[in-house]
Amino acid sequence: MRVLVVDDEAPARERLRRLLEGLDNCSVCGEAATGQAALALSEERLPDILLMDIRMPGMDGLEAARHLLALEQPPAIIFTTAYNDHALEAFDMHAVDYLLKPVRRERLAEALDNARRLTRVQAAALQQAGERGTARTRICARVRGSLQLIPVEEVRYFQADQKYVTVATPEGQVLIEETLKSLEDEFREQFIRVHRNALVAVRYLCGLEKDAGGHFRVQLERVDEQLEVSRRHIADVRQRIKLLQS
Amino acid sequence: MNDLAANSAGIEQGDGFFLPNFCDVRLVFAVVIMAELLAFVLVLVTPSLLDDRWSDLGVISLFLQWIALTSAALLCLARPLLSRLGNTAAVLISYLLVLLITALLSETAFWLMVRSTILPSIDSEQNGVFLLRCLGVSAVITAVTLRYLYVQHQWRQQLQAEARARVAALQARIRPHFLFNSMNTIAALTRSDPDTAEEAIHDLSDLFRAALDTVDEHATLDAELTLARRYLNIEALRLGERLAVEWDTAALPPDVNVPPLILQPLLENAIYHGIEPLAEGGTIHIRGELTNGWIAIRVSNPVAGRTTGGHNQGNRIAQENIRQRLQLAFGKRAGLETRQQDGHYQVTIRFPGEQAS
Repeated sequence: MRVLVVDDEAPARERLRRLLEGLDNCSVCGEAATGQAALALSEERLPDILLMDIRMPGMDGLEAARHLLALEQPPAIIFTTAYNDHALEAFDMHAVDYLLKPVRRERLAEALDNARRLTRVQAAALQQAGERGTARTRICARVRGSLQLIPVEEVRYFQADQKYVTVATPEGQVLIEETLKSLEDEFREQFIRVHRNALVAVRYLCGLEKDAGGHFRVQLERVDEQLEVSRRHIADVRQRIKLLQS
Repeated sequence: MNDLAANSAGIEQGDGFFLPNFCDVRLVFAVVIMAELLAFVLVLVTPSLLDDRWSDLGVISLFLQWIALTSAALLCLARPLLSRLGNTAAVLISYLLVLLITALLSETAFWLMVRSTILPSIDSEQNGVFLLRCLGVSAVITAVTLRYLYVQHQWRQQLQAEARARVAALQARIRPHFLFNSMNTIAALTRSDPDTAEEAIHDLSDLFRAALDTVDEHATLDAELTLARRYLNIEALRLGERLAVEWDTAALPPDVNVPPLILQPLLENAIYHGIEPLAEGGTIHIRGELTNGWIAIRVSNPVAGRTTGGHNQGNRIAQENIRQRLQLAFGKRAGLETRQQDGHYQVTIRFPGEQAS
């Protein structure tokens, strides 16, 4: 069994590594100190199991777990935490295992025995916990077969186009397989709907203009495209712009 | 009234007796003001005694101040005795004392007035009525005042009880995360570096000894700084290179008394909200200054772009607690300020640098 150890604290990683080395048919295939690094390593080394701390700088364990779902063969995840975290309450404990630090050798062996590949039940539980919990800080997209993480705070707008949603940043555009509705729910505080098919980042709103055809369009900082604002959303958009200016 | 409340709160700090110290200049001043206000009321509601209202005010003020200040003086002298009796008996006896003074002084004043013929209309047959009226007014006013002092005393007691409860709560509230993370670190070190593990256990013991100690209500600044260092030693083991600390506290006098655990919670906040959320870590600056007899200790830490360190609730509770404990120990001018600027979060605590309480 190939295990990836993820923790931002070096002594904690060292201890897990030593415990794992003492167990049969287990090998540590890598160590990561952040959620992002864990994702990158998972893609590269295809571990069977991740032992992952919940509280980490940058991308935390819960968010990393959600992004891992996008892998073709997602590993099983066992969370480690120093104390009963509020974040853990979001889970159905039967679906996702967790270990309390300092981790006991027997408890670790037991958890590893029980762990299989991320099951459908686990995936659903993670998804659900994410939806009830806090919004992600990054959007995960597959670009030519590899995972790419886009910081949500860079995103200018989401635009739906049949099966896919376009994520637009000043650096370019990528496609993701999520629905505009779920994105709207998750990022309600940062994004506003301007049209049936588009959400725009409130913080980058910089103008509202009427084009020759009488349609309103919003301008966003550092992107050229102007998005159409539908009649039923115009009042909302105006209000948000006013709030920004005040 | 607020002034009076503030004054007497400042005078009597936690000796557990409801009667404030009437020997204190500020309280004597308050008594004078109260008596004068009563004189105003009396002049406004009674028919004119002398030629004009100002003369009335003069005579009545003289009479009331006489009673009020004599009462205050007597209560001041009797306070040590009264305080041994318990609150109920003390209330009763102070009440009777004031009434007795009123009766004696009213009699004296009455006969002085009859002799001196300041009030032409007065004659000796009105003695009884005059005495009863004076006693009536005194009975009501004294009752109201004592009631006020008693309620204020209870309020103050409650405030102190709450403050103590908060200290206890805070002391118990060294984050459980910290305890278990430290244990985990020590578990890792026992094999790889037993000496450091032992050191960490000593540091952790000292910290929890301070945190669990509910008896000792004072610590020295030096002990607080040592405790802060021990705390940071443990965190440094866990966070490795991510945590850098810069100390600049040479200017601080070591043996000033301070409430215990005023510094460590600030550092814990700085780590929890400042360093931990940063993958690359950062530096915590601890800077102490002594200017014009006042100590200012500033703890500053970098904050991650989006998470603002000051807005967290746990953070605020700890800060509010420290602010209240400093003000309880040193008065209103002591306190805690926070500031966020250029990606740095700063907390400054201020208190007098003399050998205080």
